[in-house]
Amino acid sequence: MAADELDLRLQARARRAYELGRLLAALRLAPFVLAAAVAAIACGRPFPVTCALALPLLLLSVGLAYAGGPAGRAVRPGLLAGAGALAAPLLMATVGHACFGPACMSLALPACVAGGGLAGVVIARTTVRRDADLPFVLGALAVAALTGALGCTLAGAAGVLGMLAGVVVAGAPVLVAARR
Amino acid sequence: MEGGERAELRRLMARLADGDRAAFGPAFALLWPRLRAFAARYVAVADAEDAAQAALLRVFSRASEYDPERDALAWALGIAAWECRTLRRKRERRREDDVPPPDRPDPGQGPEEAVIARDLSAAAEAVLGTLRPNDVETITAAAAGSGKLRGATFRKRLSRALGRLRIAWRARHGSR
Repeated sequence: MAADELDLRLQARARRAYELGRLLAALRLAPFVLAAAVAAIACGRPFPVTCALALPLLLLSVGLAYAGGPAGRAVRPGLLAGAGALAAPLLMATVGHACFGPACMSLALPACVAGGGLAGVVIARTTVRRDADLPFVLGALAVAALTGALGCTLAGAAGVLGMLAGVVVAGAPVLVAARR
Repeated sequence: MEGGERAELRRLMARLADGDRAAFGPAFALLWPRLRAFAARYVAVADAEDAAQAALLRVFSRASEYDPERDALAWALGIAAWECRTLRRKRERRREDDVPPPDRPDPGQGPEEAVIARDLSAAAEAVLGTLRPNDVETITAAAAGSGKLRGATFRKRLSRALGRLRIAWRARHGSR
């Protein structure tokens, strides 16, 4: 067998090792996503809704981290930012706030907006610090939105929309001010 | 490896760590000959190719963990040294006969000096192979004179690595 052919075979094996290594590294994010889903279920979120959000979040996080690039680098900051938005409404539930009807909107909805605002500031500041571009922002936003939605479904669709509004309202000024 | 190639390898490994697959081919072309040459010095000739291949696969499987602040060649050689050590231990466990390392005589030396130099070099490499990859990487980087690693932290790491090298040498060869 020619030396060139051996080198080509070795190169193909090395490439497979590289791809497998990247996949394994990306899969290390899975426990964080699963922990977020378990926390949401433990705080009373419905199992089907949580699964419907956690599965896309898991696929998105692992997929982006495996692919790499700016969007891949955005997964960890996105998960971190989304954790705040996830925790805020869940904490409301754990302190005994009963989420029924208008009473729910009095506390859970503001908590979702505040959590979203926190996520927006974290994403914007990370983007500025790393001098990152649009794919980074979009990747972090998508991951943070899905993570936060795991908790903000407590306040229904309004909670999720409120969280997204909080992200934009709090994050955009930080980004705009830094880009000037 | 020259400074330019070293810097290029560092850039390529940083791109690979970030997921840029276009850097794979050039990184392979730069790394493979160096790892093969390194393994040929560390283990018996019969095992050198296996050790080099194992090291290459390990380097690429861990490419996403590579820290661009570190010297890529020293990092890869640290992994290679670990693979060589693992392979040698496997061979020792199987009680296989050692094949002597290849001769590398200096044309300016007499036969006696060449034998002494070869024995010393083989002994030093054998002891180095018992150290952890981080220590090997540090000592290799210091020997190669990597300019960016000359901070206080690096000097402390080097001091500790050399201390462990001395202990390993004494354990194997006494206080000579």
